[in-house]
Amino acid sequence: MGVVKGDQMILNIGPQHPSTHGVLRLEVMTDGEIVSEIRPHLGYLHRCFEKHSENVTYEQVIPFTDRCDYLAAMNSNFGYVVAMEELMEIKVPERVDYIRIIMGELNRIASHLLALGVYGLDIGAFTPFLYMLRDRERILDMFEYTCGARLLYNYMWVGGVSHDLPKDFEKICIGFLDYFEPQIEEYNNLLTYNKIFVERTADVGVIPADVAVSYGVTGPNLRGSGVKWDVRKDEPYSIYDRFEFDVPVGDGHFGTLGDCFDRYWVRMLEIKESVKILRQALKDIPGGDVHQMLPKKIRPPKGSVYRRTESPRGDLGYYIMSDGTPTPYRVKMRSPAFTALSVLDEVSRGWMISDVIAILGSLDIVLGEIDR
Amino acid sequence: MSKYFANIYDTVNTLWTGMRITWRHMMNIKRDNVTLQYPEERWPRPERNIGFEHEDYNVIRSRLHVDIDDCIGCLKCERACPVDCIKIDTIKAPTRGEDIPDVKHTGETSNGTKKAMVVSRFTIDMSECCYCNLCTYPCPEECIFMVGGPNSSKHPIDYEFSEFDRTDLIYQFAKKLSPEQKDGLQNPKPEAEA
Repeated sequence: MGVVKGDQMILNIGPQHPSTHGVLRLEVMTDGEIVSEIRPHLGYLHRCFEKHSENVTYEQVIPFTDRCDYLAAMNSNFGYVVAMEELMEIKVPERVDYIRIIMGELNRIASHLLALGVYGLDIGAFTPFLYMLRDRERILDMFEYTCGARLLYNYMWVGGVSHDLPKDFEKICIGFLDYFEPQIEEYNNLLTYNKIFVERTADVGVIPADVAVSYGVTGPNLRGSGVKWDVRKDEPYSIYDRFEFDVPVGDGHFGTLGDCFDRYWVRMLEIKESVKILRQALKDIPGGDVHQMLPKKIRPPKGSVYRRTESPRGDLGYYIMSDGTPTPYRVKMRSPAFTALSVLDEVSRGWMISDVIAILGSLDIVLGEIDR
Repeated sequence: MSKYFANIYDTVNTLWTGMRITWRHMMNIKRDNVTLQYPEERWPRPERNIGFEHEDYNVIRSRLHVDIDDCIGCLKCERACPVDCIKIDTIKAPTRGEDIPDVKHTGETSNGTKKAMVVSRFTIDMSECCYCNLCTYPCPEECIFMVGGPNSSKHPIDYEFSEFDRTDLIYQFAKKLSPEQKDGLQNPKPEAEA
């Protein structure tokens, strides 16, 4: 007897679907309610970032990097400027390094808060979303206080940052952290330990460690599968080697190692680690000028550089090729969300349609970065 | 069987924890935290913007504004713009640093720089602007800036600059020159005849 196969139905999720986190169309082949294959269709947000960069000067690329990963624009800027400084062999003042790390970690918290809140929303919990966005708002207020923009900052420049911190920024930031740390426990009580949420996420969409590595999945998604890999720790850039923090990995808290809950849980733990880094950075931030290393005209020597940094979504790499002119010859961006999306097909085979939403949400993709 | 009841107990317990948190927040709600029907009714413009002191802002990203009397037509902002939303045309002035009352051109900026160019066109398309603030840094006369915040002494903040027509978002800062005036600037008449 052969296997009896039912009629295949093709279900389109997206492009305008709230849980696709952008404009993504998923072509889902279903057998009854069981998913047999998923074909993601990309490109709805394609804005020619890489080609466009070849026509503008090096400093004009930075506003475009904001628009790739728009939920963590500081980290996008960070990767680009670190790569550029490696190419130009600039050593930035210590204060700039500290400011960048403070901004990067604040934005990591903001990005994770949105990821976790929206994940709850995908699963069906509305209240945590509101609470998390309320706290994210405070971080955005601090960004607005510093550089005037709330989402697309253009804050980090090659050789410095655009503005020094406002004079009482440290006090405001410490005040925020003191307020924020007890909130994490509240989120946990509200959403993480909720039995309905656990039932929806635990044991669902397991990514085994070898599959994650072979697909090139990075960031919290990889760490959720139990692989201890963090660029901040293993290949420290900027001054991340000075801070003490742990790299949280999934441990199959409520189910199997590498399930949706682990990926969610790793993000929650990472917020705590970011708070730890922020406290250390705010304690020993030195004084100084943030503009002294800004080059008058950015004209790097001939050559190329590849530098990867840890964005909230994972391993964000920039490959920059210079031919000695004020415009880059080639800018390539390695997007962590793209690889996270590529694993979706393999992971969600055999799960139900409603679980696909849970798996997609747990991968925390940003379509602006995938399509670039 | 015991697992079944343990599950139910867990669910009720964790739900109860969550509901207690929401209840506490509902009790602590501020009375005026309600949505307004925006275009008909609106909040009064706040004295302080987001809870921090207004003067302490490093910068604010709002509408771009140009003090055209201070502009020397150096085109630095036009070159800095990544999306090319600033467009400037200049005509060489007959004599450097002299007023031309005919076209309302002032010869000197407020910093005392003598102007060599008459700016005949200065448009910023705010619908294309990406608010990256890159154009304000190279300006030698600090005449292009984003309104409000630290610049509120120069220009009050403009929160909402919505228009019904897209072309209304193209802001013209230069004084309008008629074709004759342009022609007169480009081909000045010899002094002897006059």
